[in-house]
Amino acid sequence: MSLPHHNARAREEILSRLRRASPPFPSTTADSKPSLVVTRASPDEDWVQRFITEAERARAMVHRVSNDEEGRAVLRELLTRLGARRAITWDMAHIPLAGVDAVLEELGIERVQGDNVTVATADVGITGVDWALATTGTLVLHAGPGKPRMASLLPPYHLAILRAGRILPRLEDYFALQRAADLRPLRESSNVTLITGSSATSDIEQQPVRGAHGPLELHIVLLTP
Amino acid sequence: MQALQFKQAVIRALHDAQLQTALDRGTTRGVNHRLAAMSATTDAAALRHQARLARERALNQLPALLEQLERNVLANGGHVLWARDGDELNRLVLELCQKHAVRRVVKGKSMVTEESELNHALAQAGIEVVESDLGEYIIQLAGERPSHIIAPMLHKTKEATAELLHRKLGMPLTDRPEEMVRFVRGVMRTKYLEADMGISGVNFAIAETGTIATVENEGNNRLSTSAPRVHVAVMGIEKVIATWEDYAILVQLLARSATGQQLSVYNNLMTGPRRPDEPDGPDHFYLIILDNGRGRIYQTEYAESLACIRCGACLNACPVYQNIGGHAYGWVYPGPIGSIITPLLRGLTQAPSLPFASSLCGACQSACPVEIAIPDMLLKLRRDLVQSAGNASLGWRLAMLLWRLGMTSPLLYRLGAALAGALTRLLAGRSGTIRQLPPPLNGWTYSRDFPAFSKGTFRERYRRRAQHAALRSHDHEPATSQRTRP
Ligand code: SF4
Repeated sequence: MSLPHHNARAREEILSRLRRASPPFPSTTADSKPSLVVTRASPDEDWVQRFITEAERARAMVHRVSNDEEGRAVLRELLTRLGARRAITWDMAHIPLAGVDAVLEELGIERVQGDNVTVATADVGITGVDWALATTGTLVLHAGPGKPRMASLLPPYHLAILRAGRILPRLEDYFALQRAADLRPLRESSNVTLITGSSATSDIEQQPVRGAHGPLELHIVLLTP
Repeated sequence: MQALQFKQAVIRALHDAQLQTALDRGTTRGVNHRLAAMSATTDAAALRHQARLARERALNQLPALLEQLERNVLANGGHVLWARDGDELNRLVLELCQKHAVRRVVKGKSMVTEESELNHALAQAGIEVVESDLGEYIIQLAGERPSHIIAPMLHKTKEATAELLHRKLGMPLTDRPEEMVRFVRGVMRTKYLEADMGISGVNFAIAETGTIATVENEGNNRLSTSAPRVHVAVMGIEKVIATWEDYAILVQLLARSATGQQLSVYNNLMTGPRRPDEPDGPDHFYLIILDNGRGRIYQTEYAESLACIRCGACLNACPVYQNIGGHAYGWVYPGPIGSIITPLLRGLTQAPSLPFASSLCGACQSACPVEIAIPDMLLKLRRDLVQSAGNASLGWRLAMLLWRLGMTSPLLYRLGAALAGALTRLLAGRSGTIRQLPPPLNGWTYSRDFPAFSKGTFRERYRRRAQHAALRSHDHEPATSQRTRP
């Protein structure tokens, strides 16, 4: 977009003032990079176990299963218990558990997609997970083709399906991975979300309450072969 | 805000029982959450220093990073607009509303739009604007202003909140925060889906990919930036940082300092509008970069104040904030950091009381995740105020002259101390306390007594102690006597 004339002037005025000033911290050089990690870990850390501990501490509910059959059984049970009727899901290609569509069909759960109003009728969202972070119990979701943002956001329940191989130790390691890929994944997706626990607010007297505007509950089905 | 107004606001705040209860509950929890989280951090002091360096590097390269950010936002299919002040910001947003035929706006939390009073400007143009952050929404309903950077309704008790929701929206009365939150959730759902435009703030803008990052727990920001067809993000010029490595460290320290979490529930990274093959997200993305006085600060010795990441820790830690709350500070940014940037952004004469609204105890600086020298800057602002007021009054200058004489001459000092001691003992009589000091010192005894000075002065005591210590050290090996401190 070409800038409207008046805005080009504002831009120039703001930037030229900054350029005229000398750098405020002359003794700090441009090349010092952060080198420490933020979260504690013991040297022989079991990252899968750590992920479970931290995710549960952030009030996510983790369901650990050791094969696909068990995974589907847990999913069936969850969907039944939550009384799900309509679901917004990622494309099956992006969900790392075979047969999710069959489970939905079997339970008579309709898959909705399209505009916001239609999608808002879903009572459960089902997604895969691009990466997970052990020391903070975090899920990383990249939006993309077949991966709607709304699935992890709009319905009252979010079911995320995660393979243990996707668990990284820390946020720092996730960005190291992105760096190695020339930051391409971050550039290509309009939205990457780091999710740690379920939606919450502490606005009323700083007391945590779950289920503010996003999902009331976050369930993670964790497949550890 | 003028000096008198500030004093009145403080007195009002101190006598507001509801506010005092809310402040007690809110700031104590805030402080405790932060301390617990920082103690679970591997190397908190070194990390804070790294975070500080990340901010320093970013500010050093500020103009270049802003240009890099702009280039990358454009490359991602977004647009960048620049606003010199709040009015220009509001004008730009209104133009965008017109261009995209916007009738309803939903807003995620943004402090800079408080600076420009954007809500007011939009409402005047007949555009419906709804705050979506739970606290901000309740404040908006009440027709009030946020009183804390990250906990906007810290000044409200849950009882007052229930009352308000009952009165304005017919919520059945309850004292359970869960029920209030559930109620507002229901009200807000339709607002997100009907809105044509979402407006959000920016916590960090990562120059190298043209990404803007927001930090939140509720999900309202994600909804506001994902559901409507237009997303407008508004940031102050100082929000830009260089790399994702810097982001990783800053965002984790922000969460710990603000709410005591390892990471906030949602860290939302937005890189341009939705791509053609993506199923949802906004069709249009605009980033508005606001100066509004920051460029001026950048040229001064106060540039360090631009390193602030708005975590709110210094507010919770401050004994003054704990007692008067946010509104008494009179503008958008309260607490210790507010006492610095409010006079700097608006002009010293607009807020001459704020640099003095501090005991300089330093609690703010020790809480600050990026080690901002807040007390130091408050002192410098006091100096500026005196200088800008021209010469102080004759009485004041005379008092200062006497003070200097007394403080630089040991003889006069001792004489003065002896005199003052004798005088207070005389005034106090047998009770040992003075109920009312003579003018002009009577302000001090307005709400407390003044104790008479003790007979022995500090210097005498110190000398005696030193003599004792010298005697004792003869009995000990020198090495052990040096390890008396724990
Ligand atoms: S000055 Fe420091 S402690 Fe205060 S809000 Fe800013 S970053 Fe947080």
